[in-house]
Amino acid sequence: MIWIIHTLNGVSLGMLLFLLAAGLSLIYGLMKILNLTHGSYYLVGAYIGSTVIEKTGSFALALIVAPLAVALLGVAMERFFLRRFHLDELPQTLLTFGFLFIIADLCLWIWGGDAILLPKPALFSTSIAIGGNFYPTYRLLLIVVGFAVAGVLWWFQEHTRIGAMLRAGVDDAETARALGIDVSLLFTVVFAVGAFLAALGGVLGGPIIGASPGADFDVMLLAFVVVIVGGLGSLRGALVGGLLVGLLDNFGKIFFPEFALFTIFVPMAIILSFRPTGLFGRA
Amino acid sequence: MSKGHHVRFAERAGARVVAGAIVAFSSASLLVNQAAAQAKPPIKIGFIAPTSGGFAPSGEECILGAKMYFEEIGYEVAGRKIELIVEDEQARPDVGLTKAQKLVERDNVQVLMGVVSSAVALAINEYARDKKVPLILSCDAGANELTIPGPLANPTLVRTSQNGRTPSAAAADFMMKKGWKNIAVLAADYAGGFDTIGGFGAALCKLGGKITQEQYPPITNNDYGPYVTNLDQKADAVAMFLPGGGGLRFIKQFVEMGLKTKLPVMDIYGQAVYEPFLPQLGDSSIGIYSTLHYSSAIKTPANEKFAKAYFERTKHQPSDNAPDGWVGAKAFADAAKAIDGNVEDTARFIDAMKAVKFDSPKGPIALDKYGQVIQSMYVRQVEKVGSDYVNTPVATYPNVDQFWPLSFEEFESYKYRYVDLKGSLTNCGKVLEKK
Repeated sequence: MIWIIHTLNGVSLGMLLFLLAAGLSLIYGLMKILNLTHGSYYLVGAYIGSTVIEKTGSFALALIVAPLAVALLGVAMERFFLRRFHLDELPQTLLTFGFLFIIADLCLWIWGGDAILLPKPALFSTSIAIGGNFYPTYRLLLIVVGFAVAGVLWWFQEHTRIGAMLRAGVDDAETARALGIDVSLLFTVVFAVGAFLAALGGVLGGPIIGASPGADFDVMLLAFVVVIVGGLGSLRGALVGGLLVGLLDNFGKIFFPEFALFTIFVPMAIILSFRPTGLFGRA
Repeated sequence: MSKGHHVRFAERAGARVVAGAIVAFSSASLLVNQAAAQAKPPIKIGFIAPTSGGFAPSGEECILGAKMYFEEIGYEVAGRKIELIVEDEQARPDVGLTKAQKLVERDNVQVLMGVVSSAVALAINEYARDKKVPLILSCDAGANELTIPGPLANPTLVRTSQNGRTPSAAAADFMMKKGWKNIAVLAADYAGGFDTIGGFGAALCKLGGKITQEQYPPITNNDYGPYVTNLDQKADAVAMFLPGGGGLRFIKQFVEMGLKTKLPVMDIYGQAVYEPFLPQLGDSSIGIYSTLHYSSAIKTPANEKFAKAYFERTKHQPSDNAPDGWVGAKAFADAAKAIDGNVEDTARFIDAMKAVKFDSPKGPIALDKYGQVIQSMYVRQVEKVGSDYVNTPVATYPNVDQFWPLSFEEFESYKYRYVDLKGSLTNCGKVLEKK
């Protein structure tokens, strides 16, 4: 029975990782920007979420306000800064690295340096019994929400016009542009969606992982592992990669506790040596 | 009657003369003192503590504690003004060392004080030793070796805050007295974690208890679900040391997975029940035990006065950092006063530091011959008082020195250092093996 709980732990963490990695993956896939600010979107999302909950007491409101605010931040970064260095990878990466530090210090200034855990929504702050052990319903909620977001994103990508443009842009940006697709608009949309999802992960992950100085960097590292395992530019890769890393992380900590940090990175290295583009990435 | 009157008059006249003399004399001596104060250069203290990054709250609190004491004495001791120069160590050894060099070589400070990160303390230690600058560790930096005779020992270092192993020893003693002999432990996977939990394991083994399970989450661990699920539920209790928000996340999951009713928790060093975290933990925190050298709920006049003044400035209850800063500042001032402000005489100043004895918000303070503080250890338990959550002391171990309950000789007689016992704590034979 304990294995069911371990598996649920892994899957729920995997869903959080999926939310974080999806945007990172799309942004790189389409714009070739290695966005080092992605972990900051998570952090700012969690912090804004905590403030909204503190002021209004509503977790649901936090789930809407924080991602929207962070999506605006993402759009501003893309429109006013990154756009100036289109396809110029080094300046772009350095720019996002700079934003990482600026945002981290702003967060420290506004929200202080103590770790924060977001309170859970009242409806999901209970536990249910699974084979003699209690399991928090909130983690089950994470799993459901994760799959729901994955479903919506899949539908968006496969069945909407912007989704089709997105796929075209990821496959071949130049041809897409030549065909009259407004790639510029697409860039902004993708940045907004990516930041939105990361901040959603921040609010949803807030009651488990929480927000503290340095969490931006830790979360970004995990998201990169997921993206590398799953393949850059692939939503399916982000989902499978997220689940895989979540489960590996969980079972690694149980079976190989001395190598808790390596249980993620060793499989990543193995996958890369056989599939350098990741599980679902295209060369 | 008249004689009496005369006598009284004479007395009065005499009194007047005496009073006049006293006034004249004291104003003269006041002038002399002032002249001396003007003649004596100020004492410059280089205060090294993080004011940015994740350790900033600890640093800021410690600095505030020191300032509160210096304000009490008007930033003056033995006729010399005290100048406090604060530098940000960022909890990074390279930065801390650069700042120490700047303070000593450019600002010409006479004393270095503060330090939150043990890594920074280790980096500065060698430099201060070479430069023969007194180093007063008055904030969190608790690496055991700094005050134990050995390669790191520094004759010009004293520590008035704490060290790694004493809260561990008190925790083991208290748990054994509660009848909890089989303990599952968790500690963050870094030197400080091994030191703390190793000290706990050694004390527990010595008292006849046993560690049944060791888990070492990485210091950057996010999700404590796996560790909670994996926890040995047959143990009598859990002891843990998870700093920097880890304890907070662990307890939340621990409670949600229904373990709080099954296993009592001992939070060594009070990292999870750190005062700013208590409102976040809410009712989950009630009943959790912790050991530390301070609690804001200590019922002594010294602490009540301090906690009130601190609350008025910050609107928060103090954690251990501010009282640590206060004690470091007072120890410095008392020592400086004892040698008439002549802190440049390093050897005499350090001897004077080791001789200080006073009452503080933390309880009675003294230093041992190695320069490490001897103070009370408190076992606290979270209680709800009105709408606030408080770490109420439930047991006090007075005058605990750094080797307690061992002697220095017995401490030295063991074969393994705490950091080398990671992964072997379940084996008391190895833990207690002699050299």
